[in-house]
Amino acid sequence: MTGLLAVLSTPPEGFHAPGTEIFQYAGNPELCLIGSGPLCIQKVTLLMLLSAVAISAFFLMAFRAPRLVPRGVQGVAEGLVDIVRRGVVLEVMGPDGLPFLPLLTTLFVFIWVNNSLGIIPLIQFPTTSRMAIPAVLAGLVWLVFNVVGIVKQGGLGYLKNVLFPPGVPAPIYVLVTPIEFVSTFLVRPLTLAVRLGANMIAGHLILTIFAVGCWYLFSHLWTPGADWVAGFGVFSFALLVFMTGFEVLVAFLQAYIFTMLTAVYIAGAMHPEH
Amino acid sequence: MLGAIASIGLLAAEAAEEAAAGPENPILPDLAEMIFGTLAFLIVFGVLARYAFPALNRILAERAARIQGEMERAEAARTEADRVLAEYREQLAGAREEANRIIEEARRTAEQLRRDLQAKAEQEAQATVARAQEEIRAERDRVFDELRAQVADIAVELAGRVVGQALDRAAHERLIEEYIDQVAGSNGSR
Repeated sequence: MTGLLAVLSTPPEGFHAPGTEIFQYAGNPELCLIGSGPLCIQKVTLLMLLSAVAISAFFLMAFRAPRLVPRGVQGVAEGLVDIVRRGVVLEVMGPDGLPFLPLLTTLFVFIWVNNSLGIIPLIQFPTTSRMAIPAVLAGLVWLVFNVVGIVKQGGLGYLKNVLFPPGVPAPIYVLVTPIEFVSTFLVRPLTLAVRLGANMIAGHLILTIFAVGCWYLFSHLWTPGADWVAGFGVFSFALLVFMTGFEVLVAFLQAYIFTMLTAVYIAGAMHPEH
Repeated sequence: MLGAIASIGLLAAEAAEEAAAGPENPILPDLAEMIFGTLAFLIVFGVLARYAFPALNRILAERAARIQGEMERAEAARTEADRVLAEYREQLAGAREEANRIIEEARRTAEQLRRDLQAKAEQEAQATVARAQEEIRAERDRVFDELRAQVADIAVELAGRVVGQALDRAAHERLIEEYIDQVAGSNGSR
């Protein structure tokens, strides 16, 4: 709020394009909202926790007294679960994957909500654009699919199936095995985290640029002799609206892709490639 | 519109706010955020796995059972309806047969009755006729007997008269005439 007042009270002196500094929330004691020190709760962590509370409250409300014929909140919640059940689990894993439905639904809803925070008015910061959530979730997925592989195929069997896929001529394993190792155990979690984080960073950066651009251009209305510059603010505003709509789509899509890939990885660990 | 302007302001404020902080690599995850992010995720997962999904699965199972039950009930009702229809048809056919049988029997009974009555009537008629003939015959015989007795009487009387009176031709004829008249008259009166 102090920042908002500062911007409103001082006329802009030249356009300053926002950069990666708009994602800096950690390591600054001034930003602590609750508590102090490096582990204090600042805006991003508060939003994460609030999103968890909101999602939990939503699902608890939906299934507190479930009806045979779903209505209202229950209908929405069942629809969400159904997206994951039909679109991801049954599509990718088959009925065997249904035990993973709670995990995959949690992933999908949690990521979707945290992505969508970037376009919810007055919040407007996707917590997934901080690398923490993508990294943690990618690590969790990595852990889950490896554990599933070890449990289903046995430690050695799993390693053998991953590193030495059958049906490959023996000398080619010199090439295949390192590639499979890197792609399964290193690249998978990395791409999973970076795909989500980078998408949300880019989206938030674009929205911020057009929003700041709008502000800068419109503020020329009060500048004598340069008020015509404010007219260009219309274009910036139009793009801001368009990109916000686009981010609605991206928020859903990235959550869906993350969930889908998780399902693919777990399914691969359950049933070795033939 | 107001909200949009407010959010533009907020985003700008955010930019200004963040510009004040020191440089940081945005690609590297922050420890505090990882901890709270994990916590947030686990809260959601815990609630979903512990409360939402059991409730959802219960209601889904209940729904499936309900639909299954409805379908089974509908199937049972259909089978029952088929059975009842078949039973009614059978009963109807039986009733029709029974009715036909009763009608046939009634017809036969009526025919029998008619024949009996006819026979009895004929018999009675014959008996009546026979009785009448018998009576007629008896009457005739009686009349004959009576007549014979009278004729004898008359003949005796006539003979007496003929003997007692002078017989002339005219008296003779008159006597005969009288006699015939008498006979005819007595015969006609009878």
